[in-house]
Amino acid sequence: MPDLVWFLTRRLFAALLVMLALSLAVYLIFYAIPADPAHLACGKPCTPDRLEQARHFMQLDQSTLQQYLNFLKGIVAGRTFGDGAAAVHCNAPCFGYSFPLARPVTTLITDRLPITASIALGAAVLWLLIGVSLGVIAALNRGRILDRLAVGVALIGVSTPSFLLGLLAILVFGFWLNMVPVNGYIPLTESPVDWAWHLVTPWIVLAILQAASYIRLTRSQMLEELNLDYITTARAKGASEARVVLTHGLRGVLVPVITLFGLDLGSLLGGAILTEKVFSMQGLGDLLISAVGQLDVAVVVGVTLFSAFLIILANLVVDIVHGVLDPRVSHG
Amino acid sequence: MKHISRAVALAAVLALAAAACNANDKSGTTGGSTAAAEQGGTFHILSTSKEISYDPAKSQNLGISGIHLVLRGLTSWKTDPSKPTELVPDLATDTGQVSDGGKTWTYKLKPGLKYADGSPIVAADIKYGVERSFAPELSGGLGYHKSLLVGGDKYTGPYKGGDLASVETPDDTTIVFKLNKPYGDWPWIVSMPAFSPVPKKADTDPAHYGEKPMASGPYQVQSYTPGSKLVLTRNPNWDKSTDPARTGLPDSIVTDMGLQPDVVNQRLIADAGDDKFAATTGTSVPAALIPTITGNPAVKARVATSPSGALQYLAMNTKRPALANPAVRKAIEYAVDKQAVQVAEGGPEYGGEIASTLITPGIDGYTKYDSYEAPPAGDPAKAKQMLAAAGVSNLNLVLAADNTTGLGVAQAIQQGLKRAGITVTIKPLDSEPLTDLITGNKPDFDLTVSSWLPDFPSAIGNIQPLFGTSEIGNGGYNISRYSNPAVDTAIAAATAEPDRTKAAGLWAALDKQIMADAPIVPLIYARNAFLHGSKVQNFYLSSYPPYANTLIVGLSK
Repeated sequence: MPDLVWFLTRRLFAALLVMLALSLAVYLIFYAIPADPAHLACGKPCTPDRLEQARHFMQLDQSTLQQYLNFLKGIVAGRTFGDGAAAVHCNAPCFGYSFPLARPVTTLITDRLPITASIALGAAVLWLLIGVSLGVIAALNRGRILDRLAVGVALIGVSTPSFLLGLLAILVFGFWLNMVPVNGYIPLTESPVDWAWHLVTPWIVLAILQAASYIRLTRSQMLEELNLDYITTARAKGASEARVVLTHGLRGVLVPVITLFGLDLGSLLGGAILTEKVFSMQGLGDLLISAVGQLDVAVVVGVTLFSAFLIILANLVVDIVHGVLDPRVSHG
Repeated sequence: MKHISRAVALAAVLALAAAACNANDKSGTTGGSTAAAEQGGTFHILSTSKEISYDPAKSQNLGISGIHLVLRGLTSWKTDPSKPTELVPDLATDTGQVSDGGKTWTYKLKPGLKYADGSPIVAADIKYGVERSFAPELSGGLGYHKSLLVGGDKYTGPYKGGDLASVETPDDTTIVFKLNKPYGDWPWIVSMPAFSPVPKKADTDPAHYGEKPMASGPYQVQSYTPGSKLVLTRNPNWDKSTDPARTGLPDSIVTDMGLQPDVVNQRLIADAGDDKFAATTGTSVPAALIPTITGNPAVKARVATSPSGALQYLAMNTKRPALANPAVRKAIEYAVDKQAVQVAEGGPEYGGEIASTLITPGIDGYTKYDSYEAPPAGDPAKAKQMLAAAGVSNLNLVLAADNTTGLGVAQAIQQGLKRAGITVTIKPLDSEPLTDLITGNKPDFDLTVSSWLPDFPSAIGNIQPLFGTSEIGNGGYNISRYSNPAVDTAIAAATAEPDRTKAAGLWAALDKQIMADAPIVPLIYARNAFLHGSKVQNFYLSSYPPYANTLIVGLSK
């Protein structure tokens, strides 16, 4: 086990460096944009004095480097904007404070994450099931009609833009057939049935889009596996076809599938931007894209870092799962 | 005043709450239903907004918007589909007693006014509400009073700046404002959110006060979930007999937040279930939906359009060498194809009427005139002649335009000017950088298209922010960088005039005086068009404000 501890320590240290570099990059990009976020907080009419006051309060009157250092310091020690009774506090770990939304970035992320996670996890289960099973069916029926069908579905899924599929689904199932709600999110804690009911369209839409690559990957991988010597050996030893495919073949297929799945899920948890936009759900993707429009650098940095963290975490989990699935993989 | 780059227009009005329908199609207001509004029911507002704050210090909302359902002011707005919007006394007994040559305004509170918790509303609460609007921590709201109240320029709010001496409360029902110059429109200023009462003892967490403010209006905040829902329920201590501006008909008002604009419009078109009792107060019907709506009379009847609205105009940067010559700007007045602009914005019925004045219809001081009379599509031949007479040829101009909402109009301008031999290069920009370019101190552009809606119905709001020398650069909206000392003097005189009729005459004269210098080309009086459900009553849009009056919403069974 010390191997694993050493492996994890190294990976976490590398992750920290990546996130530091990323946060600095986002800061620099934002400060290169010729616009002043303090304008939004200045009020109407905005006089030069009031603008300066707003800048000072938002700590935008300091140098870019100082602002970045303030951000780093806030993670450890928290931050306070202004002073006196009306001061705004952002407790440690403070990943920035959004003035347009009047909330610390950490609160915004924890508020929005359940929405994005509900969309991503539900869709992930669906696309994994659809993708892998259709992929296996296609491989076993290579060249036949079922294979063609599955590959055709994959092609359509891969090439359809998500907003188009989403809007079509809303139009057909929401407005025309009136079968599903057209927008909004109900928390799981409020009503599990309504929660699922509001999410079923985004789940299916996302699953169709994502399943495509899994069908193709599973199919090609399975075909490759089935040609390997150990499969021939298994068949020769009299193993049933189901056992050959599901136990031996699928195990080999799962390694690349899990890799792809981990990365897809990781990036989707960081915000399913188009899906959230189309279905009027205020998840992390929606938070990020609105913040870009409002030049809300604190939120952009916070959400970007969080997404990066998820992707790094997903990579880590994938590596560990690889070790479990395939004993040949060492953590060296 | 409201600068509207159309995209920003949505954001600016997102927090507006909605209203109901009206059959009185006078003054060009359209879209209504004939059934009577009744007491009770739940009115739903479909909103694209993700965050709603009812903190009066931070609010830029107009006098007919949702914040005023919860908060009353010294004065309030009363709309009528066939008359200009009026100012009525609200918490105060009248719209103000003026003395000291227009520099002192005194208000008396009505007797027996209470908050939702039963405690009395006193003059000191209004003073405190005004004071906290000066705190930099709570900035962002309408702040006309900040430069008008004596000492306001240096005051930093009650949390560390003590009290503001120019707001006096000699007793619990009297409040006196001391201004540094005469200001005839002060009664409109005290209708703004910052003049709502805030009891000091309730202001324990100023940063979040707006989530559940002390209610003085017919409703109070029951719950607020950012990005999702705002629920208002009745305030049991609101006394209708003291309130001439609000009807308080529905039992509750629910704002469904964070919706996509398309979803808002499609739900209202579908008119199913609870959406029959719903309306939008900030999501205008987009040009793409107009054929769907005009093709279905039942839906069309549920679109309320405003007779007038924000002035959409082409600003000419008078500080640029090519445009410093008034003769060139006057030629452009003739060369622009206003009809093409109108078509790009949705045609006369949904886009708006062609404009020729600075003051918009529905505001005192508006008189119809046209200093550069031409056919709707312009008179390029005359423009060509004028340019030739001025010895100008090969004119090349840069038009800065909003890349998401302004390109259609920009192209209409480009094509129009091309007919007169003027080459226009469109420079597309995101909304924020565009605002910074045109209002900042490095105005590297010749032309830009902008929209403007005043924050209160007075011509000062149409003229001063766009043409006063003090409004050039530093974020000011004199984007044509127009400076004329004679105009500045006339603006000061009209601002100080306490008699509204006389003031209107002065502003009307200023309108013509400025247009004689041709700093901008008025394009259209941009209409708003909002959908509402079939059970929503008293929902109409006025010339000003071109939004539904949320305060008088009612529902039918």
